[in-house]
Amino acid sequence: MAKEIFMPKLSSTMETGTLLQWFKEEGDSVEIGEPLFEIMTDKINIEVESYDEGILLKKYFGEDDQVPVNHVIGYIGIEGEDVPQEAPGVSGAETEEAAPAENPEPQLVAAGSAETAITDEKPRATPAARHLARTEGIELRDVQGSGPNGRVHKKDVTAHAESSPVEAKATPLARKVAAGEGVDLSAVQGSGANGKVVKQDVISAKRTTAPVAGTSARKKMSGMRKVIAERMVQSKQTAPHVTMTSEIDMTKVKELRASLLPVVEKQTGFRLSYTEILMKATAAALARHPEINVSLEGDEIVQHGHVHLGLAVAVADGLMVPVIKDVLAKGLAELTQDAKEISRRARENKLLPDQMKGSTFTISNVGMYAVDMFTPVINQPESAILGVGRMQDKPVAVNGALEIRPMMTLSLSFDHRVIDGAPAAAFLTELKDVLENPYELLV
Amino acid sequence: MTTTIAEKTREITYLEAVREAMSQEMRQNSDVFILGEDIGVYGGAFGVTRGMIEEFGPERVRNTPISEAAISGAAVGAALTGMRPILELQFSDFITIAMDQMVNQAAKTRYMFGGKGKVPMVLRTPAGSGTGAAAQHSQSLEAWMAHIPGLKVVQPSTAYDVKGLLKAAMDDDNPVVFYEHKLLYRTSGHVPEEQYSIPLGKADVKREGTDVTIVATAIMVHKALEAAAELEKEGISVEVIDPRTIVPLDEETIIESVKKTGRLIVVHEAVKRGGIGGEIASMIAESEAFDYLDAPIKRLGGLAVPIPYNPTLEKAAIPQVPDIIAAVRETVKNK
Amino acid sequence: MVTKLNLPTSITDEKLKDLYKEMWLIRYFDEKVDQFFAKGLIHGTTHLCVGQEASAAGSIAVLESRDKIVSTHRGHGHCISKEGDVNKMMAELFGRETGYCKGKGGSMHIADVEKGNLGANGIVGGGIPLAVGAALTSKMRNEDYVVLCFFGDGASNEGSFHESVNLAAIWDLPVVFICENNQYGMSGPVKDMTRVEHIADRAKAYGIPGEIVDGCDMIDIMNSVDNAVRRAREGGGPTLIEMKTYRWKGHSKSDAKKYRTREEENEWRAKDGIKRFKEALITSGVLTEEEAKALQEEANREIEEAVRFAEASPEPSIDTLEEDVYA
Repeated sequence: MAKEIFMPKLSSTMETGTLLQWFKEEGDSVEIGEPLFEIMTDKINIEVESYDEGILLKKYFGEDDQVPVNHVIGYIGIEGEDVPQEAPGVSGAETEEAAPAENPEPQLVAAGSAETAITDEKPRATPAARHLARTEGIELRDVQGSGPNGRVHKKDVTAHAESSPVEAKATPLARKVAAGEGVDLSAVQGSGANGKVVKQDVISAKRTTAPVAGTSARKKMSGMRKVIAERMVQSKQTAPHVTMTSEIDMTKVKELRASLLPVVEKQTGFRLSYTEILMKATAAALARHPEINVSLEGDEIVQHGHVHLGLAVAVADGLMVPVIKDVLAKGLAELTQDAKEISRRARENKLLPDQMKGSTFTISNVGMYAVDMFTPVINQPESAILGVGRMQDKPVAVNGALEIRPMMTLSLSFDHRVIDGAPAAAFLTELKDVLENPYELLV
Repeated sequence: MTTTIAEKTREITYLEAVREAMSQEMRQNSDVFILGEDIGVYGGAFGVTRGMIEEFGPERVRNTPISEAAISGAAVGAALTGMRPILELQFSDFITIAMDQMVNQAAKTRYMFGGKGKVPMVLRTPAGSGTGAAAQHSQSLEAWMAHIPGLKVVQPSTAYDVKGLLKAAMDDDNPVVFYEHKLLYRTSGHVPEEQYSIPLGKADVKREGTDVTIVATAIMVHKALEAAAELEKEGISVEVIDPRTIVPLDEETIIESVKKTGRLIVVHEAVKRGGIGGEIASMIAESEAFDYLDAPIKRLGGLAVPIPYNPTLEKAAIPQVPDIIAAVRETVKNK
Repeated sequence: MVTKLNLPTSITDEKLKDLYKEMWLIRYFDEKVDQFFAKGLIHGTTHLCVGQEASAAGSIAVLESRDKIVSTHRGHGHCISKEGDVNKMMAELFGRETGYCKGKGGSMHIADVEKGNLGANGIVGGGIPLAVGAALTSKMRNEDYVVLCFFGDGASNEGSFHESVNLAAIWDLPVVFICENNQYGMSGPVKDMTRVEHIADRAKAYGIPGEIVDGCDMIDIMNSVDNAVRRAREGGGPTLIEMKTYRWKGHSKSDAKKYRTREEENEWRAKDGIKRFKEALITSGVLTEEEAKALQEEANREIEEAVRFAEASPEPSIDTLEEDVYA
C-alpha cells in the first residue's frame, strides 16, 4: 500500500506550512532519507526527507501552497499503485486510529532527518581515525564508519578524504566569512599551517573570483531568501527605526578576554570571543533597562522576564538568528560553548526549530569585516537590536593626553513605537559603562 | 628474533640453560650460592639443580628446611652482607609465604636505609599451569611482584633468553624475581656455550609483522607465534613482542610497534583481572602510540578462577592458540 | 670496700665508664623524642626503650666492631650502642636530609650497614631471617663475625622466629637470638600469649641452648651474651637468650597503658638498670659519684646538641623522592 507524505509539524505553534519546492517529480524514485520537499514555517525553512522508499506517485500541492500540518501532500509506493485523485486531507484518517494532531515528537525527528539523530552524538572513532581527521581537518561526523556501531577507522577517514577532495581545511572564521561571501572554500588556496584556509585567503579569493564584467546570472530565490526578504520588509515597514551609536573603549574587555581565554578553553575546548562578552554585558544592561527588552504583540507591550539573545549568523546564501536562552544565568564558559555550538549548527543547517525562537533582543556582529558602524534591522517581534562594528586602535584623549586605545562602535536600532529615545540612550550608555568596566559584571 | 649468533651453540633445553647459567657463574664467583628446598641430591622439584651439589658441595648448594619465610629472609640478609644468593622456591605459589621478606624487606631495604646497602639476590621459581598440579601449584602471580617498587621481575620464554637473562639477574644489585615456566623447561633451542647477558628491560621482537602487535609473556610467546604462523596464511601479519622482563618494562619497543601496526593484543597466562596486560594496555593508552590505535586494545588472560585439576578445564582456564587467532581476527577486522 | 666485678675480659674500666654514659644517652635520647612527639615537633610514630637500656648496652658491649646486629621497631638503644651517631639519629626522626636514612626511613628503619647495624625493622619478627642470612655470609666467607639478633616477646610467636632459629641451628650459624621480653606485645601480656613460662624454653625445640637473664642487670647481661657470642664465633651455633625487662613507656606514642597497673610499673622502675649499674660501678671503685654525675650531664649535653643539629638540618629535596629505589 502506498505510503503517505504529510506536512510535518515542526513546533508546538505550527499550524500550517508553506510548500516551497519539491525536489522530486512524480514518477521519480525516492530513497529513505533523501530530501523530498522544502517547507517554510513561521520560524524556519527546512528540507523534509523521505521516510519511505519507492516511487513518488502523487503530489497534491505545489509551490507556495499552504498546507495544514498532518495533511497528506503526496504518496510514495510501487509503480502503478492506486492513490486518491484528490488530496485526502488528514494523514492516517482512513485508518481507525487517526494520528492525533498534537504529536510533535516524530515530526521533529523527521524534520531533523535521520542524520541529525546520529550527529547529536559524538562520533565513534578509533584514536588513529581521530588523529588523522584532526590533522586533515575532516569532520568525523561526516565520515561513514565501517566498524561496529558505525565506528570510524583510519581507513574510513582515508577513504573519505579521497572521495571528497573538495573538503578544504579552514579556520572557523574563514568558514564563516566564506559562507557569508558565498566563496567556495575548496577553490581557495590556504596560506595557514598545512594549507589551512584563513580569513585573509577567503577575502583575497573573493576579490579574484568576482564575476567577470558583462556576465550576469539569474537564479530563483531560495526558500530562506524568501523568508529573509519578507521579514526585512515587515520590520522596516512596521517599525520606525531609530539608530544610535556609541564608541566604546575596549581596553578592559581585551584584558578580560586575554585572561579568561585559557580558562574557558580548558573548560570547554572553545575560544572565548568578544561576542560572548558582548552578550554577557548586553544581558546585564538589559536587566537594568527592562524597557528595552520588550515585544509588541497586538496592542500590548510585553516586557520579558528573561533575556534570550538572538545571534545573527551568516550562513551560505543567507542569514539565520539562532537563540541563546537565559543569558543572564550563564557564565562566559557556558555562553562560549552555547554560542559556538549553535553557530556551528546554523552554518550546517542543523538548527532545531526550538533553537530559532523566543529571542527578546538580537546582536549582529560584523566586527570581522572592515565595518565601523551600521544600522541594523530589528528582528521582530523584538523591539531593538545591537549592531557591532570592528574594533580598531584609535587615538583618543584620555585625561587630557593622547592615547592609543582599541575602540569599537555599537549601534542600537530600536522601534520608536514602543521605545523612546531617552531610555534607549540610557541603555546604550549603561552598556558602554559595563564594557568599559567589565569587572563590574562580577559584582 | 635475537640475532647474537655465538661461536659455539648447541641445542639444549630451557632447564639445562638455567642450570648452566648458575653453574658457570658459581664457578667464577664464590659469592654466588643457591639455597632452596630439595635442591641437593634430589635436584630440585623440577630437576633444575640436578648434579650441582655434586659439583659445588652442600655449602654452596644449600638444601633447606621447608621454611620459605626463613630462607627468603636469609637470602636477603646474606645479600645485604655481601653474598649473591640464588633462592629457589619449588613453586611460585609459595611466594605467598616468602612475601614479607620479598615485599617488606628485600624490596625496601635500600630505599628506607637512605640508599645504603643493596640486596643482590635472585628468587628463581617455576610458575604456570599445564601440569595438572591444580590450584595451589599452578598460579602466575608475577603482577603482584611487578607492583612492588624495588623488585625486578623476569619471565623468560626461550632457552636462549633464560640463560642470558639469568646471567643479568645474577649480576644485578637488586632483588630479582625470576619466573621460569614449568612447561618450558623441556623446550630446547640454540644456546651459546659461553656466558652472555641479556639486559633486563630489553624486549625481544620474536616475529615482525605489520597488522597487529601481540605482546605475550612466558609460554604465551609460543602460543602467539603459533597463532601468527596460522594467521599469515590468511594474509594477516602479526608482530610478536616478548617483553622478557615486566619490571623494568621496555615500553619503547612496544610503543614503536603499536605505532607501526595500530593494533595491540596483550596475552598472558595470569588471571586477566589485575594482570600485567592492564598495565601494558594503559601504558599504550597514555603514550604517543594512542593516536595510532585503530582498534580497541584487547587483553587475553586467565579466567578469574583457581586453576582446575581436570586437564580439559585446566586448558580452558587460560588463553590458547585459537583464542589468540580469534582475537587477532576481531582486531584486524576493520583493517 | 671495693668488690671486684665479675666481667668478661674484654670489658675494661674505661669501657664501663663509656657504657654508663651510653645508657644515659639512650635514656635522654628517647625522653627527648617523647617530648618532641608530645609537642608535635616530630611526626609519624616511634617506640621508646626507656627502661630497656641495659639489654641494648650490655649485649652490644661484648661485641667486636666487625660483629653485626639486627634490631627491632624499639631500636634506638641498639643503634646508639652499635656506635650510633645521635645527631644522625635525631635528624632522621626529624625527617632531615642529614639523618641516617636521608629522612626516608624514620624511627623504624634506622640502619648503618657499614657499622654492622643491619637495621631496625617495622615488621615484628621481620629481621630474624635477615640475621640468619647475615650469619650465613659470615660462615661462608669466613668473616668471623657474629650477629646479635634482637626481637621482642611478641615476635617469638611469629613463624619467622621459629623457621629462622631452626635454620640457624641446623647450619650452626654464628647468631645470638636475644629476646627482649618486656612483658607486653603492644597490649598483649606475654603470659596470655605464650603457654611456656619462659621464651628461652623454646630453645629446646631447636636443640640449642636457652638462657634467662635479668634484663636490667648489666653485669649478668654482659657475661651471658659474651658466652653466647664466643660459642657462636667458635662454630658452636646459635643461642637463645631471654632478657626479662620492661618498657617504662607505652607501646608507642598513643598508648594509655590500660593493660597494666601503676604498681607493676613502679616495681619495674625500682629495678632500673642504670641505677643498679651505677651502684655496682661505685661499689667496685670504677666510678665516683662526681664522675657519674659528670658522665650523665655529658650525655644530656650531647642529646641537646643532637636536637640542635637536627633542627638546623635541611629538609630533603623533593628531587630525592625517586632516588635509591634500585641500586
